[in-house]
Amino acid sequence: MRVKKRAFQVLSAAMAAVMVAGCAGQTATEATKTAAAAGTGNYDEPMTFDFYDVAANYQGTQAGWFAKVVKDKFNIELNMISPQVAGNGIYQTRCSTGNLGDIVVLERTDFTDCVKAGLIKDISADIKNYPDLMTYNDQITVLNKALPENKDGKIYGIPCQMTNTSPTSYSQDVIKSSPLLRWDLYSELGRPEIKNTDDLLDILEKMMKAHPTNNAGDPAYPLSLWKDWDGGDGMLGIANVTQLTTWYGEIIKGSNILKPDNTFIPVNSKDGAYYKMLHFLNEANRRGIVDPDSGTQDWNTACDKMKTGRVYLMWYNWQVGFWNTQDRLKDGTAFIYTPIKDQIYYADADTYYGSGRVFAVGSQVDDAKYQRIMDFLNWYASPEGLNYQHIGLKGFNYTVGSDGKYTYINDNALMDNVTVPDEFGGGGFNDGNNAINQWMVDAISTNPATGEPYNKDYWSTYKAATMTQMKKDWAAKFGAAEPVDYMKKNNILLISPNVSVSLPSDPADISIIRKQCSDLFSDYSWRMIYAKDDGEFDSLWSEMCTQMDGMGFQELSKFDKDKYQIELDAKLAVNKK
Amino acid sequence: MRMFNDRKKARAFREFMYVLPFLILVAVFSYYPLYGWVYAFFDYKPPFPLSMKQFVGFKWFTSLLTNDVKLKQLLAVLRNTFAISGLSLLFSWFPMIFAVFLNEIKWKPFKVFVQTATTLPNFISWVLVYSIAYCVFSSTGVINSLLLNLGILKTPQLFLQSANHIWFKMWLWLTWKNAGWAAIMYIAAISGIDEQLKEAARVDGANRMQVIWHITIPGLIPTFFVLVMLNLANFLTNGLEQYYVFQNAFNKDYIQVLDLYVYNIAMGSGGYSLSTAISMFKSIVSVLLLCATNQISKMVRGEGFV
Repeated sequence: MRVKKRAFQVLSAAMAAVMVAGCAGQTATEATKTAAAAGTGNYDEPMTFDFYDVAANYQGTQAGWFAKVVKDKFNIELNMISPQVAGNGIYQTRCSTGNLGDIVVLERTDFTDCVKAGLIKDISADIKNYPDLMTYNDQITVLNKALPENKDGKIYGIPCQMTNTSPTSYSQDVIKSSPLLRWDLYSELGRPEIKNTDDLLDILEKMMKAHPTNNAGDPAYPLSLWKDWDGGDGMLGIANVTQLTTWYGEIIKGSNILKPDNTFIPVNSKDGAYYKMLHFLNEANRRGIVDPDSGTQDWNTACDKMKTGRVYLMWYNWQVGFWNTQDRLKDGTAFIYTPIKDQIYYADADTYYGSGRVFAVGSQVDDAKYQRIMDFLNWYASPEGLNYQHIGLKGFNYTVGSDGKYTYINDNALMDNVTVPDEFGGGGFNDGNNAINQWMVDAISTNPATGEPYNKDYWSTYKAATMTQMKKDWAAKFGAAEPVDYMKKNNILLISPNVSVSLPSDPADISIIRKQCSDLFSDYSWRMIYAKDDGEFDSLWSEMCTQMDGMGFQELSKFDKDKYQIELDAKLAVNKK
Repeated sequence: MRMFNDRKKARAFREFMYVLPFLILVAVFSYYPLYGWVYAFFDYKPPFPLSMKQFVGFKWFTSLLTNDVKLKQLLAVLRNTFAISGLSLLFSWFPMIFAVFLNEIKWKPFKVFVQTATTLPNFISWVLVYSIAYCVFSSTGVINSLLLNLGILKTPQLFLQSANHIWFKMWLWLTWKNAGWAAIMYIAAISGIDEQLKEAARVDGANRMQVIWHITIPGLIPTFFVLVMLNLANFLTNGLEQYYVFQNAFNKDYIQVLDLYVYNIAMGSGGYSLSTAISMFKSIVSVLLLCATNQISKMVRGEGFV
C-alpha cells in the first residue's frame, strides 16, 4: 500500500512538472522569436517567414535548392502552411488567432474578407519603393481599387500570375482543355475526320480493340476517370466533366453554366453542356471503354495509368506531361490535340490582371520582418526571381547561349527528381522545388533578358528541338502550326477577356447549400456514368434535380447568377472597347 | 503546514494537489472545448470573429427539418448510424469468444502468433486499410484477377462500388481491424479467474467445453457488460475515418453515418455552425443514452458503472 501511494505521488509530481515545463518551453521559444524579429533591416539576422499558402501542396520548412536560393539571398527560411495539406479548418483557426501568416496567398474572395477583418497589412506607403513590383502597378491598382470600402485606393494585395501581355490576348499554343489523342493510334486508324463525340467514341472503341493492353500487358481503357477534384475550381459537378463543357463553348460558373450567348442557365439544366458531356461518358461506359475502377480510384492511381500508357484520351493540357517526352514526340507516340468538327472552345484570355489569387502581407508582422518580406516579394516579381520560379537553376535547368537565348537542359529534372549538385544545395530537384507553388507573374510573360516567354515551351531553342516528324505531320494535316493557331484560323476559339472584379463570398447559408448540392450533383453524376441505359440515366437526372431543389438549389443558382453577372458585365465592357 | 491546524485537512489538501493536474487536463481538453458550442447559435463565417450581429438562435437546428428532402437525408444518416452501431453491438460478444478460444490454445508459440497477428491490424490507419482493400478488390485486384483467370467471371466485379451488404462489409472490416485489440481486455479478465475453480470442475469431470461454459464465460460477464454499456453510450459515435475512406458516390446513401455527415458538411464548405449544431445534438443524446443504460444496469444488476 505504502509503495503504491509513493508511486502515485511521484507520478503526479512528474505530471505537474511536465505541464509546467511544457508552458515554460513555449515562453522560451516565444522570447527567441521576438528577439530575432528585432533586426536592423539588413540580412544578418536569420528569419523564418510563416507562409500561409492556398496553392502549396507541401507543409513544413522549404528544403533543397530553393531553400538555398532564399537563404543565400535573404537569409530566410520559409515555413509553409498549406490548407491543402492541413485541411481547410486551419484557415478558421488561424484567422481566429488574428494572425494568418507573415505572407499569405489567398483566393480573392477570402482575401477581401481578410482585409475587412483586419488580417492584412496596408502596404500602400512602401510598395512604391519597389521597382519590380511597380512594373505591375496597373494590375495591382486595379485589384485594390476593386476592394469594397477602399475608396482612397489603399494597397493591400498583389495579384498572382499577372502577365505583361494584354487582357484580351491569348498567347499560349494550347488551351486548358481540348480532346487529346495518341497520334500513333490515331494514325493507325488512318487519321479519319471526327465530326462529333459519337465519332470520337467509335475511334476510341477501335483503339481499344486494337490495343486492349499497354506494352507491359496491363489492361488499357481509353478513358480513366478520378474523383479527387469533384466540386473544385468553384464549379459544381465532377471535375472530369466540368472541363469538358468548354469543348462546346460553355463554362461553369458556380452553380450555373455560362452559354456562348452570354446567358446563364442552371448547371443541372438538360440544355447545358454538362448534361451532354455526362451523357458522353455514360455512352463511353456502355461501350466498355471506361476504366471500371473510375468510380473508386484516386488521382494517384489514375495518374499511374497515364504514365504507363493505359489511357487513350486526355483532356487537360498539362495531363500530357505524364506521357509526352521528347523521345515520344520523336517516335510519334505522344498525345496531341485532335479537332472534332462540331466543337467550339472556351478559353480564358491571358491572366493580365491575375489568376484570382492574391499575395499579401499579414497585419501582425513587425517592421524588420515587413521590410524583408517586401524585399522578398519584389525579388519574386523580378526577372531573376521568375527564372527560379518558372525554369529553375541556371547551369542545371538551362544554359545561356552567346546570343543571350536560353537552352533547356536536364528536361527530366522534375519528372525523375534528378539529384541537384551540391553547389546548388543538393537533394532531388522535385523535392527542393519551390513549395510556394504560386507565381507572381505568369510564365507566358516576356522575359526582358531574352525577349521570349519564361515558359521553356516557347523558347526558340526548344521549338527547334521539338520540331519532330509528328509535329510536321500534324501541321500538314490540319494546316496550322499549333493547336491554338488552328482554332483561331477556323474561328472556333472563344476568348473570354481577363477582368479584375471583386465578387461576394458565400454567406453561411449559401455555403452549406453549395456544399450539399455539390455533393449530390457529383454523387449522382457518377451513378449516371454507370447507368445501364438512357431510361436509367434520365430518371437519375430528374431524381437528382428534385433532391437538389430540396437542398435549396434555386436559391444558390440565383445567388451565383447575381455574383457572376458582375464579372460578365466587366467582360462585356472590355469586349465593347 | 501552518495553514491547516487540522492534520486531516492538510492531508486532504495534499491529496487534492495530486489529482489537480488531472483535473486541469480534463478541464482544458474536455470542458473548455464545450465553449465552441456557441457557434451553433451564430451565422459564423471565418475570418470574421463572432459578434452579436450574427446571432441566429436555433436557426441551424430547425434548418435540418425544413423540408422532406433534408429530413429524409437526416433519417437515412440516422438509419445508417443505428444499423452500423447496432450490428457491432449485436456482435459485441465476438472478441470475448475469440479471447476464450485463444486462451484454450496450449502451444505457446502459436498462441502468441495468433494474438500478434490479430492485434497488429489495430495499428494500421484506415487509409492504409483502404489501399489494401483497393489492391484486393479493385477490377485488377487479387480477387478479380483470380476469378477472371479461373473463368468464374467474364468481366471484373466492382466490389468497392456496390452498396450491397455495405453495413455488414463495414462490420467485417472493423472486426478484422479491432478483434485482436478488443480481446486483450478479456484475456486479462480470464487470467483473473481463480484457477482453483477450473481445477475443481475438472476433478468433478467437466470437459473443456463445460469448463468454458460454466466457469470462464460467467467470469467474463461483468467485464462484458461494462464494455457493452460503454459502447451503448457511444452508440451515435462510429468514428468517421473508416466510412470516409470507403465512401463513394455509389454507396454513400448507406455508408454516411452521423460523424461522416458532420464532416462532409463542415469541411470544405465552412459549414461550422450547422455541424456544431448536429454534434451538439449528438453529445446530448449520448449523455442521455449513458444515463439510461446506467439506470438499466442499476435495475438489472443492482449496481451502476458510473
